[in-house]
Amino acid sequence: MIKQVLLASSLLALGVAVTGCASTAKGVKSSVVTQSVPQEALRADIPEGGVLAVIRYPAIVEESAKDIYHRAYAKRAIGGQTGKGVTNTIETVAVADSAVVKSNYFALSLYKELAAKLPEHAVLLSPHAIKLGPGGELTSEPLTAAEDLPSVVSIDFATYSFPDSKKMMGNVPLTFGDLVTPLVTVRTDHRASVPTQGLLMASRPLLSRAAAEGREAALQTIDALQRGDLDPVVPELDFISYITNDTPQDISVQSLATRSEKNATMVLPVEKVRIPASEMRLLDAASDGTVDPLDDIYTDALSRRVVALINGLDTDKAVMMGRAASISDFDPSLAALTFVGSDDADYAARVAYAERLLDAQRKYLSVQSLRIFDGVHNGELGAQVRDMISAEHDVLEKRRSLARQQNMATMMAIASVAGGIATGAGGGSSCRDARSQAEYNACVRRQRTRGAAASGMINAGIFAAQEAYSKAQLSQQVGNNFLNSIVPALEQQTTVTVDLLDSNETITAIRYEDLQTKLQDLYTAKQRSLETVATQCAYLEPGGQMRGTWLGVCEGGLANGSGAGVLEAGDEVMEYYGFAKNGLADGPGLMIRHTAIGSISYEGSFVQGRPDGTVRVSQSGRADKTRNFKAGVDSGASSQKAASPFEGLSGGAVN
Amino acid sequence: MLRASLILTACLAWPVLSLAQEAATTDELYGLAEARPVAADNQTRCIAQMAEFPTDDPTARYQFFQLISDTAYGADDQTRALFDHYGQPAVEPGTPVLSVIEDIANPVLRQAAPQVVVSSMNYLVDFASVCDVYITGQTDSLLAFDGSLANPELNSMIAEDALFLRQILSESLSRLGADGDAVWANAARQYSRSLVAQRDAVEFAAFETDIAELESLYMDDLDGRLARSNDVINSEMDREILGDAIQVSDDMSKAAMKRAKQERLYRLVRIFGGGG
Repeated sequence: MIKQVLLASSLLALGVAVTGCASTAKGVKSSVVTQSVPQEALRADIPEGGVLAVIRYPAIVEESAKDIYHRAYAKRAIGGQTGKGVTNTIETVAVADSAVVKSNYFALSLYKELAAKLPEHAVLLSPHAIKLGPGGELTSEPLTAAEDLPSVVSIDFATYSFPDSKKMMGNVPLTFGDLVTPLVTVRTDHRASVPTQGLLMASRPLLSRAAAEGREAALQTIDALQRGDLDPVVPELDFISYITNDTPQDISVQSLATRSEKNATMVLPVEKVRIPASEMRLLDAASDGTVDPLDDIYTDALSRRVVALINGLDTDKAVMMGRAASISDFDPSLAALTFVGSDDADYAARVAYAERLLDAQRKYLSVQSLRIFDGVHNGELGAQVRDMISAEHDVLEKRRSLARQQNMATMMAIASVAGGIATGAGGGSSCRDARSQAEYNACVRRQRTRGAAASGMINAGIFAAQEAYSKAQLSQQVGNNFLNSIVPALEQQTTVTVDLLDSNETITAIRYEDLQTKLQDLYTAKQRSLETVATQCAYLEPGGQMRGTWLGVCEGGLANGSGAGVLEAGDEVMEYYGFAKNGLADGPGLMIRHTAIGSISYEGSFVQGRPDGTVRVSQSGRADKTRNFKAGVDSGASSQKAASPFEGLSGGAVN
Repeated sequence: MLRASLILTACLAWPVLSLAQEAATTDELYGLAEARPVAADNQTRCIAQMAEFPTDDPTARYQFFQLISDTAYGADDQTRALFDHYGQPAVEPGTPVLSVIEDIANPVLRQAAPQVVVSSMNYLVDFASVCDVYITGQTDSLLAFDGSLANPELNSMIAEDALFLRQILSESLSRLGADGDAVWANAARQYSRSLVAQRDAVEFAAFETDIAELESLYMDDLDGRLARSNDVINSEMDREILGDAIQVSDDMSKAAMKRAKQERLYRLVRIFGGGG
């Protein structure tokens, strides 16, 4: 009896320790993204020569990068610790590959929603290939030319699953069946949101890495400007940056619900969002791509938030560098003049031609995005992903059912063992006190009956504990069976995605190159001559010791007119857009200082290289403030409106 | 029609027009809010002046009416006064418009008698103004008869011709010394500046037409090619692979379930049968 109790208790303890109370991977019915969603229509126009949004997502993994990608995916798990040996098991590889397939599919839901809320040709898709960089490091690169055009915001979208398949029924992030865990970052050019390094919104795990990526991109563009190069930097996907564990960067943050004026990045929690059963039924029944299971529960709200973010930005600042870079491809003498513009009639005429030319490129590339959407979402590929989601859902439901059975068995085991111990303990009195033989016999019979009941209950407990353990094992087996079996289908989906995107890009690129040549010819034939052209010369710091680079109007080898200047002074890197005189910032301008602790912008009046007059100051974690400066020294608050080099021309124009 | 296209062009080329305030091609900037003559009162005169217009070819007829309309477009009181002053002697009333246009385009007259160019242009402007209802009626009817006349390329060409005539006028005014005349210099300069803006607008409209053609050609072509490519690649997709994978997974899970059931029975017997 004692032996049985000990065995049952041990088994129960082991069972509870091993299986615990099984989770049914419920997910959340309502994402925080869908709560208090801003319902504002787009107020901004499509910026001249640019688009409003580019959606970047992992679409394929190059063969040579697969192993490193799988290992990095397993190593940098989000939402918990992986068990030992989770590196490149078949299950982990399937999870990592499935994350790419699902990202490739669900990013299109965001595209659809955003395209519906923005003007025609204002959103582009930028699928990325995960590949090895020149040093053998994992990175990602865009497969199309979508990111060659300037965009007001870029959105990184991926869906995520925890790499340890043993924990997939727990509370870890999962994108499987009716569960989707989106990872999102929304950024703009750092010049449009200096204090946040351009990072407007990010899922919590990606936050610090995305902030660092923003800073690195900013510094790289400044380096390029220093060399007289206007080429924009296209950062790798934030998700790839996260799994490769690059150096993070601190940044001021606020929650989605916060309505504050302070300059901070909005944080999205990692959420396992559950698609409603009704939507899953529709998806099961649908024969085409008309059912989007993600729009109502996530992407519609996210796209509305993106629209609100765009409304809050100065779109011209957001695209000015990208636009100048695009223009420099066919008209270098005009490019740097476009930062702040000019009131010369010849400039205005020429820039109208240039912008029309960029507009043609934008429309052309948007056709490619529409066809990528169509090919992936509405073709066989999309149908197969939807079939896979349905199959995953069946597996998940099976496992949920097993988890419920397991929990029932665990409860039974606890109850039975506890009952058995209590029953056994209740029969502990000795029959030696019986006063007659009959009394003694009755006592022995009672004790035997009680013992048999206790033994039966303990046996039931042992059985239930073993049953709970068995259900947990079976659930795991069902999950593993699926992940093991699905590998060929995942491989096929990957192959078709590669073929589809490669073919799309090849066809587009050949014709795009041809179109660009024709546009260039047309532009060259029709353009007016410019009286004032942009060149490269020296840009000075107020002390005059440090010399930087100025791209814009020059006179006597020094900045003299409109343009952009960059300068390194000690630990600080400084960039300036606006007007200059004798090599120094002078007139309305935007100056950005990048220091070790963050970036600060000053927009307003400058005299002899220093802020002088009313200046708007923006820095991280604080609301923007308007200050009065005298020779670079802050002399208190100002109630005046600060001048801007981007709002038409005023006092500081030299030419 | 062309007026509409010019206005549209002016909107597209807003930087040009907004920065050069004096230069304009719109009613607002020319101040054409004043009352216009009623055409019905001048019916006989208008019909007589249109007598020699082309009648057999709708395109030529449309071009002609549109050219007059574009040439005279935007002339305000100040401009008319300028033309009256330098365009002496005035063209004989009732002179057919066709011969007046021929006079303007005549290079010898342009060089030798710039005042004839000014008076001819003044006559044209007057005709366009007085007979506006007839001219508009003719162009509208012709457009309704043949929709292809709305072709931006044709209208850009007409606008360029009108601009050419206006430039001849501007040069003639300059030749007659309007630029240096304290009374008329401002009006002459304003007219000259408006031509620069108009030329920009017309050239941009032509560029816009060319680029729109390219755009349309390339976008349609790309769309078709990508659609075909997508179809071909999607047709390579083997639905059975996923079906097979799911079937294998189901079979394996069913087998595992069966095994678990058997083990359950065995455990049940073992535990309750005393084996445990």
